[in-house]
Amino acid sequence: MIPIELVLGFSAALFAVGLYGILTTRRGLVALMCVEIMLNAANINLVAFSAYSGDALGQAFAIFTIAIAAAEVAVGIALMLNAYKTKGTTDIDELTSMRW
Amino acid sequence: MDALTGLGVLEYVWLAPLIPLLCFVIAGFFGNRTPQGGGYIAIFGALAAFVVALLASYEYVMSDAYSAGEAFVRDLEWLVFGDYALNFGVYIDSLSCIMMLFASFISLLIFIYSVGYMDGEGKKKRRYYAEVSLFLTGMLGLVVSSNYLQMFIFWEIMGLCSYLLIGFWGFDHPEGDEATENAASAAKKAFLVTRLGDVCLLAGLFILLHMFGTLDYEGMFMQAKIDAVVAANPVKFPVAMALVFGGAIGKSAQFPLHDWLPDAMAGPTTVSALIHAATMVKGGVFLVARSFPLFVQSADVMLFVAIIGGVTAVFTATMALNNMNIKRVLAYSTLSQLGYMVLSLGAGGYLVAMGMETGNAELIGLGVLGYSAGVFHMVNHAFFKALLFLGSGSVIHSTGTEDMRLMGGLGKKMKITSITMLLGSLSIAGFPFFSGFWSKDLVLETALAPASHGLGAEHWFTLLFALGMITAFMTAFYMFRMWFLTFAGKPRERAVLSHGESPKSMTMPLVILSIFAVGSGLAIFANFLCHAAQSLEVGMRWIMDAGRVGINEHVYDGIAVVKHMFGNVWTYVAIALTLVGMAIAHAVYAKRKFEPEAFRIENKGRLYKLVANRYYAPEIYNQISWKLGAGVAKAVDLTDRKVVDGAVNGIANAIIGAGDAVSMSQTGYVRNYAGVVVLGVVVLAVVFVLAFALTGGI
Repeated sequence: MIPIELVLGFSAALFAVGLYGILTTRRGLVALMCVEIMLNAANINLVAFSAYSGDALGQAFAIFTIAIAAAEVAVGIALMLNAYKTKGTTDIDELTSMRW
Repeated sequence: MDALTGLGVLEYVWLAPLIPLLCFVIAGFFGNRTPQGGGYIAIFGALAAFVVALLASYEYVMSDAYSAGEAFVRDLEWLVFGDYALNFGVYIDSLSCIMMLFASFISLLIFIYSVGYMDGEGKKKRRYYAEVSLFLTGMLGLVVSSNYLQMFIFWEIMGLCSYLLIGFWGFDHPEGDEATENAASAAKKAFLVTRLGDVCLLAGLFILLHMFGTLDYEGMFMQAKIDAVVAANPVKFPVAMALVFGGAIGKSAQFPLHDWLPDAMAGPTTVSALIHAATMVKGGVFLVARSFPLFVQSADVMLFVAIIGGVTAVFTATMALNNMNIKRVLAYSTLSQLGYMVLSLGAGGYLVAMGMETGNAELIGLGVLGYSAGVFHMVNHAFFKALLFLGSGSVIHSTGTEDMRLMGGLGKKMKITSITMLLGSLSIAGFPFFSGFWSKDLVLETALAPASHGLGAEHWFTLLFALGMITAFMTAFYMFRMWFLTFAGKPRERAVLSHGESPKSMTMPLVILSIFAVGSGLAIFANFLCHAAQSLEVGMRWIMDAGRVGINEHVYDGIAVVKHMFGNVWTYVAIALTLVGMAIAHAVYAKRKFEPEAFRIENKGRLYKLVANRYYAPEIYNQISWKLGAGVAKAVDLTDRKVVDGAVNGIANAIIGAGDAVSMSQTGYVRNYAGVVVLGVVVLAVVFVLAFALTGGI
């Protein structure tokens, strides 16, 4: 069996990629994708602990997370689409009308 | 008891104030849909109240409770807080009965008179009749109340009605001279000046409640309780009673709060007759009479009461000497007569207090006689002063002016008015065997008694007696000056235009009242004094028992009192002074033997000016209210705006500023937010790791 440290390290790397992406990008769609990456990093952790402890509950949780992520992407993309329609851009630095 | 006394009306005596209240509501809402703008509704209310009062009084007087010296009391529990319970109920003793009877009877006559007098007022009549009905509720409620708080409520209802009715004509008074031009400001003055007294009264009631634990008359007028309270509060008790008397000073317009009453003449004459002569201004006297068992515990307060009464009597009588407004003369004379009543109660109370102190039964008897004399004068005054005011209203109605310089010679045109007013003037002047004579003489006798019995404060009472005598002389003079100026001599400007005698609805009450003004004094032979003293029997039986011997001699027999009166040289001096006053008035104003102008020196004599300007009392009021009142008001205003508002606004501004500053962190850049979240996670992680490291694991 693959040692758990490797799996956790992989998931941490994946999370860091997503975090880096979200902190640096100005493009809305890319930011959404970065959120997905971070979610999947969390999923890997859930599956890994589930497998190592012999409890299937974690895997069931991962399935739920994927479903919710799908719904979240649907909402996120709809938001971006509407933002593009009204403001003509998906640059998140331009979309600042809700500040003070 | 027999069938007649089992009427059962006494149980329903609360109907007496309640029926006028219903009339107030009905006349107030539907008055204009009935004839005379609700006038008949108000008359019905007064008649019903009078009938209830008459039957209830009869039943009470015939009952065992009356002869046993017990009050008829019915209470409902109203409010309970902590150890205090406040009740709402009725307390009937002879004082309540007397007040109830004359108040409702005179109200009835005045309401009938109003139908004629207020005929031309159109739609305003609805308001007038509603307000006078409410006033009658206040007066009757005041006298049947079973405790001080309830009494205070009705006291304030009367004050409100007085305010509303003085200001009835608002800013357009139909017959205004320069002073009554503005009825609205006269109403405001009356309200504010009496309010000063009311605040004192309320403060006194708070102290009484604190000391006695109750405000029920029945619970307070008990020997053990009063003795305990007086012993425990040697300072607080007299202060409380002085404050309660402050309420009487305001309501009964005693010096130095007397000045609202002359201004109150800006209201309709019927209102002056009803509220400012016959009933409401008696409220203060009633308060002193009702609280007599408490007042007599302090000789100092009673001396103060007597001095205020005596000073008021003479001080205000001087202002009636040269006034040219017919209603003003009567207003000053009302003040003066109220002073007599207060003097009588004060001197009587002083005698009782000294009698208790020295164990002298005769003094207690004399004091009780003084009390009865005060109540007696109150009743007599209600009749003759209501008559005089209604008579003056009849003259004003006919001539359209209040200025006596424009009248004269009306005796031929207005026979009934002139004769009834003559009877009223004779009565108030104390002409022998008219009603005012009996009670005024008893008042003067009471005032002299402490001096002639060699108690403390002889010089005060000698002075007060002398003032009373001077007042008697001045009363005779100014009343007949008024009568001669109005009805005798040649008709002057407005008298020529007079349209003769007033309608029947106005003359009929005059005739009825004149019968009482002449004859009510004869009640002394029907043991009126004894009946009046029954109220003290109820309230301070232990004191009465101590003075039983003296009372038998002085009060319980009207004939004996009269015999004593005519054995006293001062009685004849008073009669002589009255006759001299009348003769001078006749010589000056009817025969014109002396020209009154000669004394006046073109209105520039210093004394004349002093009196004509009412001793500058209005000016003093103004100065006090401007200097002191406005200063306090400004300070309060400043505190309110700078301190209170400042604190509130400061806190609000601080919060708004802080909010603005914090909202700057909402940049709108998603990446900033994400960065802050990451930073937070990192900080948390570091804290947890350090915590684990320091505590050694979970």
